[in-house]
Amino acid sequence: MTNHIWQVFAYELQRNLRRKGFLFTTFGIPILAYILFFGYQFISSRSAGGEDIATTITESEQFQGIEKAGYVDHSGLFTDPGDLRSVLSPYANEESAQQAMDAGEIDIYYVFPENYLDTGDIVAYMPRFSIAQATESLVQQLVYAHFAQNVDPILMSRLISPAAINEVNLQRDATGETTTNFDVDFPVIYLFVMIMMISQFTTNGYLMQTIIEEKETKLIEILISALRPTQLLIGKILALGVLGLVQIAVWLGAVLLLAQIAGDVGTTLLFLLNISIPTGTVILFLVYFVLGYLFFAAVYGMVGAISNSMQEGPQFAVIFVLPAVIPLYFMTIFITQPDGALATALSLFPITAPLSMVMRLTISTVPAWQVILSIVVLILTNVGMMWLAGRLFRVNTLLSGQTPKLRDIPKLLRG
Amino acid sequence: MQSDATISVRQVIKNYGSFRAVDDLSFDVYTGEVFAMLGPNGSGKTTTIRMILDILKPDSGQISVLGGVITDAAKDRIGYLPEERGLYRSVKVLEMMVYLGMLKGMSRPDARQRSLELLELLELGDHTKSKVSELSKGMQQKVQFAVTVLHHPSLIIVDEPFSGLDPVNTRVVKDLLLSFRADGGTVVMSTHQMWQVEEMADRLLMIDRGAQKLYGRLEDIRQQYALHAIVVEGQGDWAALPGVDHIEHNGREGTTLYLKPEATSASVLAAIATAADMTIDRFELAIPSLNDIFIQVVEDR
Repeated sequence: MTNHIWQVFAYELQRNLRRKGFLFTTFGIPILAYILFFGYQFISSRSAGGEDIATTITESEQFQGIEKAGYVDHSGLFTDPGDLRSVLSPYANEESAQQAMDAGEIDIYYVFPENYLDTGDIVAYMPRFSIAQATESLVQQLVYAHFAQNVDPILMSRLISPAAINEVNLQRDATGETTTNFDVDFPVIYLFVMIMMISQFTTNGYLMQTIIEEKETKLIEILISALRPTQLLIGKILALGVLGLVQIAVWLGAVLLLAQIAGDVGTTLLFLLNISIPTGTVILFLVYFVLGYLFFAAVYGMVGAISNSMQEGPQFAVIFVLPAVIPLYFMTIFITQPDGALATALSLFPITAPLSMVMRLTISTVPAWQVILSIVVLILTNVGMMWLAGRLFRVNTLLSGQTPKLRDIPKLLRG
Repeated sequence: MQSDATISVRQVIKNYGSFRAVDDLSFDVYTGEVFAMLGPNGSGKTTTIRMILDILKPDSGQISVLGGVITDAAKDRIGYLPEERGLYRSVKVLEMMVYLGMLKGMSRPDARQRSLELLELLELGDHTKSKVSELSKGMQQKVQFAVTVLHHPSLIIVDEPFSGLDPVNTRVVKDLLLSFRADGGTVVMSTHQMWQVEEMADRLLMIDRGAQKLYGRLEDIRQQYALHAIVVEGQGDWAALPGVDHIEHNGREGTTLYLKPEATSASVLAAIATAADMTIDRFELAIPSLNDIFIQVVEDR
């Protein structure tokens, strides 16, 4: 009994691990990202290097493609940019700085508020948001230039972390109406959710494919003359679940490695290192991944059982996939109100729970009871879904050459 | 009934909704024979085979296979070649055979060893690393057959084993089936190719609309369907012979003499022998081919 499950498991695992599609998504995407990232690094360092800017700036720091920048100082601390004059020009007020940016004289300008020394907050204005230009290094240079000599304890803390850019005005006309909260949270959540979703749908897609392939080629009849359909299904679900975990491990590893390397090179991705994701969150992330995977494994297993072609399967699956990605549409709401009614409701509803909870856990401290409740609800739902999948994944459905009509499905479930 | 039945089917009924696919069917398959299952399309052959294999459950009746109600261990002793052939398309031949062998209880080295032997035997030794999709249709059929006998089964159930094979490969598969029987194996074969049944089968079952129509030894059934007629070749006025009701010329196949009820083949032969103006080159009982019997049974329903 269990022997057959393991045979299916071992076979499906080794077979799917070698799939070109799997190898590409698992290793190709990180490699591609690395190439793009370092290629960009290389090109931007080439264009910035070799010019007189480099010589005027201590420690040959690059400014991520910023050739000219301006600043408006309300704090009264930075009246003279000193050695940085060739790159950084002071402006009396926002209007004149904006005019200079509109005229293309500068790429970006920073505004130091009056309380800069206390908060370290500055506002950066740029015509288009560019993650590469959202850098603190220019400001860092300015601050060093001013305070490097007379170091006192309060100033030292600002020297270590001179700028926490938390607002980026995307508007060219500096009305300041629509400022987007740009936080480190956004890319991290985005990364987590994408990893989870892509992995979940890739592996479950394979699950469905292997089932439909066996139906399409009629091999299914030979298989179920040797083992029970449910043994086949369980073996496959386990194998592809492990495949998903392998994929996640590779991606998370790649991200951490990139953050490490990028940190050394000194780039904006440094933020990843500054965020410590608690071990508990990582474990919960895996728990939600597994529960979400199982839910969709049941769905895709059922869809595979009733579909008779590779074209048909995904069409049925979409019915379940669409509601599951609802949380993505509300990502901004999750970021601004991670514990609001909508976020809470979506994180308790089983289909949307995995993605929603992962988003909330990344940004906020979710009450333990909500985590427990959502896990319990998900487990119960999964038990029910697996039962349904088992009812549908049977001889009558698997050997029938026709796709059942919707009204036949209750009959098939009853058997 | 012999005691060493490999398969024993008793009063089996199977319905699909309101449609009765198998209707009170009973038969035995004896160890070491080639048993043919015949019947028109949709007559219930495949359903019966699936019930024997425990893929489907009968609504009522009993089926015993290899000495009792089928178990997982018994399943490992059965080889099955379904009518609708199936192999993974993008998997290498050897790799797939090893997997299917292991599902039938073989160890990996055994499955590998035996697969290589079979592929060699079927002249597919050069294709162990090919993908199934790269093989010709005939080659795929042979691989499929190899999968059926891979795990040294004691019973194989083959549904249309010769479909899609050219005459050479038909010969290869036929020899394998017969050597399987010679080694003590039992073969259940479902086919529409009547001459193959005439050549190979020891006994047969013919079903129509799920019910038994013919069952028994091939010779007995043909005798049973023998016409009250004689086929002759030679010279003479056959219609004028005493005891002959009417005649039918079959061209090169000779002439069929239909006899009157009171006449026998012996009395007709005696009459020919004593007639001065008759010569005879051939004289035999008109025994219909299995094909004729099949058509007659189906048309008589």
